Amino acid sequence: MLAELLNPYYLQIGSFILINIILAISIYVTLSSGQLSLGSAGFMGIGAYTSALVTIHFDLPIIVGVIVASLVAGIFGIIVGLPSLRLSGVYLAIATLGFGEVMRVFFVNWESVTKGSVGLSGIPHIGRELLNLFRDAGLDPSSIGLRNNQFVYLLVLILLLLITIFIIWFFVRQNNSRVGRAFAAIKMDEKAAEAMGINITYYKVLSFTQGAIVAGFAGSLFAHVLAYISPADFAYHRAVEILIFAVFGGSEVILGAIFGATFMTLLPEALRVISEYRYMIYGLILIFMMAFRPQGIITENMVQWLKKKFSSKRGKSHGSRN
Amino acid sequence: MLLEQLINGITLGSIYAIVALGFTLVFGVLGIINMAHGEIFMFGAFIGVIVTSTLKWPLWAAFLVAIVATAILGYLLERFALRPLRGKQGVSHLAPLISTIGVSIFLENASHHLFGAGNQPFRNSFAEINFQIGSITVYLVQIVIFAISIVLMMGLSYWLLRTKAGKALRATAENLETASILGVDTKRIIILTVIIASALGGIAGILVGMAFNSVNPQMGLSMGLKGLAIIILGGMGNVKGAMAGGLILGLAETLVVAYGDSGYRDAIAFITIIVILLLRPQGIFGKKSAAEGR
Amino acid sequence: MVLEIKNITKNFGGISALTDVSFQLKEGEIHGLIGPNGAGKTTMFNLITNMFPPTTGEIIFSNETITGIKPHKITDKGICRTFQNIRLFSQMTTLENVMVGAHSRSKAGVFSGVFRPKSQRTEERKIREKAIELLDLVGLSEFHDVVSENLSYGQQRRLEIARALASDPKLLLLDEPAAGMNETETASLFDLIKQVQVRGISVLIIEHDMPLVMKLCDHITVLNFGKKLAEGTPEEIQNNPAVIEAYLGSEEDDEIA
Repeated sequence: MLAELLNPYYLQIGSFILINIILAISIYVTLSSGQLSLGSAGFMGIGAYTSALVTIHFDLPIIVGVIVASLVAGIFGIIVGLPSLRLSGVYLAIATLGFGEVMRVFFVNWESVTKGSVGLSGIPHIGRELLNLFRDAGLDPSSIGLRNNQFVYLLVLILLLLITIFIIWFFVRQNNSRVGRAFAAIKMDEKAAEAMGINITYYKVLSFTQGAIVAGFAGSLFAHVLAYISPADFAYHRAVEILIFAVFGGSEVILGAIFGATFMTLLPEALRVISEYRYMIYGLILIFMMAFRPQGIITENMVQWLKKKFSSKRGKSHGSRN
Repeated sequence: MLLEQLINGITLGSIYAIVALGFTLVFGVLGIINMAHGEIFMFGAFIGVIVTSTLKWPLWAAFLVAIVATAILGYLLERFALRPLRGKQGVSHLAPLISTIGVSIFLENASHHLFGAGNQPFRNSFAEINFQIGSITVYLVQIVIFAISIVLMMGLSYWLLRTKAGKALRATAENLETASILGVDTKRIIILTVIIASALGGIAGILVGMAFNSVNPQMGLSMGLKGLAIIILGGMGNVKGAMAGGLILGLAETLVVAYGDSGYRDAIAFITIIVILLLRPQGIFGKKSAAEGR
Repeated sequence: MVLEIKNITKNFGGISALTDVSFQLKEGEIHGLIGPNGAGKTTMFNLITNMFPPTTGEIIFSNETITGIKPHKITDKGICRTFQNIRLFSQMTTLENVMVGAHSRSKAGVFSGVFRPKSQRTEERKIREKAIELLDLVGLSEFHDVVSENLSYGQQRRLEIARALASDPKLLLLDEPAAGMNETETASLFDLIKQVQVRGISVLIIEHDMPLVMKLCDHITVLNFGKKLAEGTPEEIQNNPAVIEAYLGSEEDDEIA
């Protein structure tokens, strides 16, 4: 009976939703300190290629690949983030967009390493590795009434779910701490934040780098879930897509990123007819949102309202960022 | 050989300069970067294809139709993506940028559906005509492109400097409120600016078709980013800078393709963006204040 | 001397905002910085907190030269300010604004903030308690959870002071704290600043409310057109003919306008 419920296709969509949530969080993190970075696609690509190459060429377990990929993405984050401090607003957005494009051109042209436009295939698949782990432990999918591929997709989904929950938890906790307050202060008034003793340089680079690490992390997951990547996966369209998750869903709060990613991933699936025209719809959404609700669907106020509805007995003072 | 490459570079550069002029006009007057400019340029090119290949009309008709079509696109852009954002309090300066990104992907996808996803050939009757000067071959097309560019640039400069409308535009670019108080119909000027800028994009689109004999839907994004690189290089809002920047980029790209690794041609523009933004955000001709965190 | 301003000159392009200004603050003193509009007072504050560097001159704080040190480090060292046109973190609550003020006196980083070891929880508790105490001091204890942009003008000014005090400063710079306040509010402000002095904090205050300045300050420096016009006790300043002329002159202009 379980077998009927767990359609591998739906399981895979679930996995994509989770990866997109992580990507949306990567843009949210930099936004939370007032920086709009359009380079998530570039960092995602760095993470994907790094992990893919490390696991393919050095035969290392996936988890090592993912860790290395995130670190490399983080290092690039610092390299890009530091000089970008001088820029703000529009200039930062464009510079990061340029960075994303430079990365894509490198992915396409460094054929000896990345195989260029043809793409990298044969990337170790998370599902396979998990399946083997279970097999070695003596557990067989058919014992719970599942086919192999259902089981694989289910494992991947559960793993991604745990990871995503951890990441969300991480940033919610960070928001309600000294670092989160510093980010928010910088976002609201940089000069005043500085006058209150906040080291702007450090926190902006920190926020930017965190975004890069998260995007790189998502990229490596992407590589090991799809088992095939190519430069086109990390192009301008990807950057715009990630931007929409945050802009549509809500750029002020992490719930917005979650909602935006979920909704935008499900939309083309739910409405087949939309799928063909998806980018036109994305475009219209961006235009519409900016004109009528620039902060996105889920706003700070909405989160406060939701909190009040489910408010706890502790009566603790409400956070302003979540 | 080098001389021929230089001519190629100048040809390409002139086209880039025209695209950059469109960017710079909008930035100068509205203070925003129109990310959809590249797509409008691409639409102009495809309109040229349809007019010359499908309708089989002459080239000058292609120019006319493209100018009209892109002017209309520009008007719609201003009306629906930009105007609603003006005069709203609390709208971040990023909103127009994001809105034009929306327009750009809308147009890009629309063109996929309208014009198909692949390359389209752009035929024009005098593509083969060329002259021999010493050991170099110069194509009539290259001369025509260069001539049109010069005429446009000089015409625009003259118009901005000497005509009433042009001066009104410059006044609005300098300070919207003051211009308005002094009686300039800033709303009309803004619409006019976007229309002119878009028409420039359309013209450049036809010129590209003429220069390379084919157009493809990816041109929009590519040109958009290059246009950005140019105005950042030359100084945003600076007409001279746009022209100089366009020529520089055109030459640089041509030389890299001729003597270096052609695959990295597109990277030049992007690396330029990054390098200039870091070292000299105001560009070659720009003023310092313009670039500090708008 | 807690603060020494030595021969400070600041030019912006062709305009000289401050020319060769020098004065000193004794520790524990409330020192007024007054002068007609445009005299260069806020510029002086901006220089002290290094929002931009002086063209020439030095600033010495507690025997240490701080000219040109990064702004956040200056707060570290013990100088904090309020702003003439109120720069609160508008979407944060009143309590959060003050807690931000304590940033330089705390140190939890990313990992402490997320995984919350005992030390972090203690630190957070202390920050919160201090914020509550300061809000009490400035009379905003009922407004902890109010988003700061919803406070009244006078309340916002007091919040800014609480926020600055959260950084545990040795020197507090107040930029027109009484602007827009009525008599009752100004009287409370007087009491508040006196309490700040009782805590051992030195105060440098820019103000236009003359009765307040004369009552409050131990010492006053007068600026006009970027130059120091006079320095002395309130009595001396009130009777200084050059000061009277500078003020009477500008008062007349104000009336016509």
